[in-house]
Amino acid sequence: MAADRTDLSVTSPLREVLESREVELNLGPQHPATHGVYRAIVRLDGEKVVGIKSVIGYLHRGIEKWAEYRTWTQATPIFDRLDYLGAVLNCHGYVGAVEKILGVEVPKKAQYIRVVLDELQRIASHLLWLGTHGLDVGAQSVLFYAVREREAIMDLFEAMLGQRLLPNAYPIGGVRFDFPRGWVPVCRKFLAEFPKKVDDYETLLTTNRIWVQRTKGVGVVSAEEAVALSLSGPTLRGSGVNFDVRKAIPYSSYEDFDFEVPLGQNGDVYDRYLCRIREMRQSVRIIQQALDGMPEGELKGKVGRIIRPPMGEAYFTVEAAKGQLGYYIVSDGAEKPWRVHVRAPSFINLQGMETMCKGGLIADVVAVIGSIDIVLGEVDR
Amino acid sequence: MTDETKTPETPKPAGDAPEAPAAPPKAAAPAPPKAPPGPKKWEPTGTVVENDVTTALKERFGEAVQGVPSPCGEATVLVEKGLLLDVLAFLRDDPRTAMNYLSDLTAAHYPVNDRKFEVVYHLFSLEKKHALRVKVKLDDREPCPTATKVWPGADWMEREAHDMFGIVFEGHPNLEVILLPEDFEGHPLRKEYPLGGDQEEMIRGNRYGKPVYLPDDLEEARKILEEERHGR
Repeated sequence: MAADRTDLSVTSPLREVLESREVELNLGPQHPATHGVYRAIVRLDGEKVVGIKSVIGYLHRGIEKWAEYRTWTQATPIFDRLDYLGAVLNCHGYVGAVEKILGVEVPKKAQYIRVVLDELQRIASHLLWLGTHGLDVGAQSVLFYAVREREAIMDLFEAMLGQRLLPNAYPIGGVRFDFPRGWVPVCRKFLAEFPKKVDDYETLLTTNRIWVQRTKGVGVVSAEEAVALSLSGPTLRGSGVNFDVRKAIPYSSYEDFDFEVPLGQNGDVYDRYLCRIREMRQSVRIIQQALDGMPEGELKGKVGRIIRPPMGEAYFTVEAAKGQLGYYIVSDGAEKPWRVHVRAPSFINLQGMETMCKGGLIADVVAVIGSIDIVLGEVDR
Repeated sequence: MTDETKTPETPKPAGDAPEAPAAPPKAAAPAPPKAPPGPKKWEPTGTVVENDVTTALKERFGEAVQGVPSPCGEATVLVEKGLLLDVLAFLRDDPRTAMNYLSDLTAAHYPVNDRKFEVVYHLFSLEKKHALRVKVKLDDREPCPTATKVWPGADWMEREAHDMFGIVFEGHPNLEVILLPEDFEGHPLRKEYPLGGDQEEMIRGNRYGKPVYLPDDLEEARKILEEERHGR
């Protein structure tokens, strides 16, 4: 037997099998934890991640090209389909960019209504993230609670905009409707109850020992790396970088509202989780202030029926649920866009995968994907 | 290289507003009844924005950095390709500008312009909260220096611009296909690429930078092309 063992280490054909070497593992594109058709090719040394390569583009629909063949107004609804969990915010980015290049002033009332809907959408997006992220890491029950509250927001959207998921919320220049009768009390009731619901999620997760062990110190990205990689949104703020478009480049009257930007310290999965949880509470505050201070006035600024922006370009960014969502639009003076480019936060945040996963365990890759909060519709466009 | 990049830019301010008499050689000749006006060049309108950042750039780089007008008051500069990386590094490191955040990097195609491509950088300063758009003009297939050395985050954005426009970023660590299928031919966001359809249609429609689906009848096709031309 002893002779056999020495033999094995030198010449046996089994030697190759028993040797430690890197393994390539395909995670996705059809994998429940990738939140869509995202594929990660993970190089493993045992359970340790040596390198990770993202393969994306499975959901590329050519939205930017498509928009060039529609008029400025007709192109609006397609941008809802980018981040389909934050459709209202996408719509806001696009119409904001067109308004900027046209020089249209949006009435104050319309701006406030936009703030209300934007923040509701942010809560809805964060709720679905919370549920699915919990599911990835093994906390199944959160999903049921999170979806219950999201349903209430979807009902509010349906009552106001006629659509739940992709409502094509804003026309260029303002909003379509005022709040319908009876909408505001229902919304206020939701806002009054919602912070308690967030407390419930926190009871389930924030101090849960399994959750903390799975997320603390996992997927760390330092503040310098995060800025260099152009990360944005809670993925950036989890590392302690104070950059929120609503504060840094205020739009749509965000400077009127009193709210805080939650920041993390360690830049790990846990801090990004805490950032989003606290952001939901801040969103409630913003909506309450907007409803309280709702001004009177017009719903729509002066925009012609046919829109022909001056020849030139504009870049407008909003703080979407995933991060800084930017629209770079180019007009050649015609009724159709010459070029629309979307700075998709999920796409750019996904670049951080390599930094976050390297040196970690394979089981943590799933937690990291969840913490970046990607929507593949936006990554691939 | 710098001379080459300079020449197409110099006639730009001259031919800004009065676009029509931009044929200097026979300006004195009685203008014949103008055949189709032809496609209009893309030139941004509006006013050139001057602020601390642009003055700091002008101080350091002089004429190599030109202000570009903007219809909505956004600071924009056009940079010579040779100096691009110096300008970007200066913007990031200089305490007056402190543009440490690359918000966006993309490209655009202007088939009727002298230099058909523009690469556009949107920079932001997290500390000073100001923004700047930096542009560089390129010919078709002319390589552009990579910004990944200044911001690692430019990686995927440049790969995307490469997919969509075929712009080659020199020195990029991994300029692979990112959004398109690996065997995809062509660059879909170029203007000659059709929204739908096949390569043949793309070639037939490749006039005036605007894809059109032409009928088989030649006469009819010509008529459509003429209309197309007047429409622009």
